[in-house]
Amino acid sequence: MVDHLPNLGREAEMLQALGLSSMDDLFSDIPESIKRVGPLDLPPPQTEEEIWTEAQRLLSANVPINSRPNFLGAGLYENFVPSMVAAMATRGEFLTAYTPYQPEVSQGMLQALWEFQTMISELVALPVSNVSVYDASTAAAEALTCATRVNNRKAEQKNVVYVTKWLPEHRLSVIENYTAGGSIEIRTLDWNNEGMIDLVAAESAVGSCAVYVEQPNPFGIIDENLPKLKQIIGENCALIVGVNATSLGLLEAPGNWGADIVVGEGQPFGIGATAGGPIYGLFACTDKYLRQMPGRIVGQTIDDRGNDAFTLTLSTREQHIRRHKATSNICSNETLIALMGSMHMALLGPIGLERLALRNAASCQVARNGVLSIKGVELLYPNSSSYNEFTVVLPGSAKSALSHLDSLGVTGGLALEDTTLQASEKWLHITATDQTTEDDVVALVEGLKSWISSFAQEVEA
Amino acid sequence: MDFIICTGGGGVSDIFAFNGAATSGYAQPAPLLEDGEASAGIPESMRRATLPRWPRASEPELVRHFTWLSQRNFGIDSGFYPLGSCTMKHNPRVNEKIVQLAGINDLHPLAPESHLQGLMSIFYEMQEMLAHCAGMDEVTLQPVAGAQGEFAAIRCIQEYHRSIGEESRDKVIVPDSAHGTNPASAAMCGYDIIEIPSGEDGRLDIDAIRAVVGEDTAAMMVTNPSTLGVFEPDIAEAADIVHAAGGQMYYDGANFNAILGKTSPGLMGFDAVHYNLHKTFSQPHGGGGPGSGPIGVKSHLAQFLPKPLVDRTEDDGGLDGWTYFWVDPENSIGKVQQWHGNAGAVVRSWAFYRRYGRELEKMSEHAVLNANYLRHRILNPDAEVVANIPAMPVDGAPAEVVKHEFTLSMSPIKDETGVTGKDVAKRLLDYGYMAPTLYFPMIVPECLMIEPTETESKEVLDKFAEDFLAILAEDPELVTTAPHSTDVGRVDEVWAARNLVLRHPLDD
Repeated sequence: MVDHLPNLGREAEMLQALGLSSMDDLFSDIPESIKRVGPLDLPPPQTEEEIWTEAQRLLSANVPINSRPNFLGAGLYENFVPSMVAAMATRGEFLTAYTPYQPEVSQGMLQALWEFQTMISELVALPVSNVSVYDASTAAAEALTCATRVNNRKAEQKNVVYVTKWLPEHRLSVIENYTAGGSIEIRTLDWNNEGMIDLVAAESAVGSCAVYVEQPNPFGIIDENLPKLKQIIGENCALIVGVNATSLGLLEAPGNWGADIVVGEGQPFGIGATAGGPIYGLFACTDKYLRQMPGRIVGQTIDDRGNDAFTLTLSTREQHIRRHKATSNICSNETLIALMGSMHMALLGPIGLERLALRNAASCQVARNGVLSIKGVELLYPNSSSYNEFTVVLPGSAKSALSHLDSLGVTGGLALEDTTLQASEKWLHITATDQTTEDDVVALVEGLKSWISSFAQEVEA
Repeated sequence: MDFIICTGGGGVSDIFAFNGAATSGYAQPAPLLEDGEASAGIPESMRRATLPRWPRASEPELVRHFTWLSQRNFGIDSGFYPLGSCTMKHNPRVNEKIVQLAGINDLHPLAPESHLQGLMSIFYEMQEMLAHCAGMDEVTLQPVAGAQGEFAAIRCIQEYHRSIGEESRDKVIVPDSAHGTNPASAAMCGYDIIEIPSGEDGRLDIDAIRAVVGEDTAAMMVTNPSTLGVFEPDIAEAADIVHAAGGQMYYDGANFNAILGKTSPGLMGFDAVHYNLHKTFSQPHGGGGPGSGPIGVKSHLAQFLPKPLVDRTEDDGGLDGWTYFWVDPENSIGKVQQWHGNAGAVVRSWAFYRRYGRELEKMSEHAVLNANYLRHRILNPDAEVVANIPAMPVDGAPAEVVKHEFTLSMSPIKDETGVTGKDVAKRLLDYGYMAPTLYFPMIVPECLMIEPTETESKEVLDKFAEDFLAILAEDPELVTTAPHSTDVGRVDEVWAARNLVLRHPLDD
């Protein structure tokens, strides 16, 4: 018996008004030859109580990252979201609304998104932010196609963009799919031996449409060369910077050192890692890129009585108006998650943001110092500085270390060979966040030590 | 903009005017190191000079601010939401409770498979269920919105044609009634778009298809029932024509709510389909997202699907006798989203589908019953009601029965009194309804597109029809200046585009 159909049991009365005699009559327009024969081969309907019990049973078979010492991050981060966020975001007026296409009854969401745009604009120091795209990877991909549309006419290297070396495959793959249709060629920007962008090699990007780099970079390194990039690549090549959002409580905003477009993952503000979604991609840019940017944007306006109001604007970039000439196909985005991020950011305030970044920086240092105290474990780039995460070279396979740690109840990080082309099997990517404790680090360090000693014994044997 | 701080009374609440919190509105545990030590690892040259000017507010102030904002927003929970093409059905509350469990909220997609068995069992069940309902062979849950599903599926079709040496196929056919995302997604894959006109009855024009198919046809993208809410009776013939030319058939699943259990894209002859879990399977729309846009394909396209999919093997020690694992399709296009899609939306949709199970068909039956009933009530009122209306709306497309939605042309009343479709839509806001979809599809002049969904009662439909007809009988001046009782009056969209005030000025 299903229970969310108010007209169940009243079909006959309604059919009679229509002059029909059965529910089948409502489907008389479907040719017999393509009608389904027989019922759906699915389980019987369940009640809310049964579904709730079953959901708890199945989901408790998972191992949440906050249920044990966890050092897995690499783009999605263990966090704590203040209780206010879910309580406010699940208010039905927000949760169950569609896109605010009728501004007269959507001022609340529109204003909230305008506040979000303002907070992101302040965070990255660029004048314009949209209301979110799907995730950090699609944000990076859409930034590259956006920049190509803007810069290609003047570019000497037509349809060419450069991206930082060592991007994880799953991010690079998104970028490749999104740029394939525009015949955009992706070239790689090399690193120097300090784990930073090689500024001499970067000169090869001059005359191309865009350069995509990350801060911190994919190995967690704070790249001190990035502020010198804009001067090298020039005005007509977009500097696109992918950021770790919480790092901007300590690191200078890319808009203040030459970035034209800033993208990144918003997830640490507003929602748990959620197995990878829903999360939200940040997209902010200078005025030059505004009219080619993807996604929705809210502007202030007036109503017919002269009162201040908000509305979606610059819609002529979008698919429902421009169709195949739109700047992107994006329609549904991640509005509610961006709203949750906005609530979290507002609660933190500037000082809370700095505190959060300090907690992440401190945890990272403690974990790094602990792991590097282990004989035989070295930082991949010895003199580099890290935020949130770092990459070490182990004396054996990172996968074997992770499986040993897992058996001890520690999620030890990421074996980069699983996600990064040409990565050594010995490279382990370790993330420590504001949620990491001293005890967690001890568990990681002791676990790695016991793995190394078992490993050393094997080598001896 | 003149802001005043929210006091619970009138005026506008300005989040950036809160200035009471001396430190942060949210106290945090101390870092593992003293501040100086914690930041010692950050190179001096990269240290942030000035913090962002975010609000300085405390939880009590912010709870009031966001509550105030929510009260200025209209959702399904606020009232009837007949927004055509968007399937604004009720969102069961237990689904929200489920996704707040740590067993989904705090999972990392790169965690070992052994940490994700419960989630993967739900993924597996959803892959199987969606494939079954649509008559497809394989499903991926990765695309995070309908448009991304379209994009991913068209990319699969592109790789399929490359694999059989037919990469010269560079055209995608799209009817003029299609959603804007269809041509936008195909264009993002690099295809040229051939737009074909609908027939005079608003349906697919078979001759128009014949006239454009050929050696260069990669695919045709079709919504069925169409955006006019009517079933395309010639869909199988259309599929035959496209297939005979070597093209692939793509099904836009936006209107799947109308036919689930009655027919399927597979039976109609489609090769690929996307599902909108935020429409058919009740993932809340959230003011514009998140959505979820899984795709299903027939077996010849399965090897190109985004990676990874979930598969399983029998294992006595596993979850309910199974161990689940990720598997990459042999010639996968790779990734369209970095992780495994909007897993939270998939879990909500799983909880929704379990509520109906094999009776999902009832959901579609009631969606269609409600649409036909409301259409009847609006178009066939009593004579004394008609007598007061200057000109009645007309059907956007002639049909004995519609499916889950219908379109009305408001041209007659516009010609008679100057009241436009937009005016009627805005006036409906005064009555406490969300407006129908306006001016889409573009082939219906002065179009209003109405989709009640299965979760509205007969009483709501009766009242809406009565109010809708009452508006048509109102003084045109009252309607053309609507809305009158909303938080703001009719909004000037041109002013917004001319002035581009896209963020708070934060003037001190």
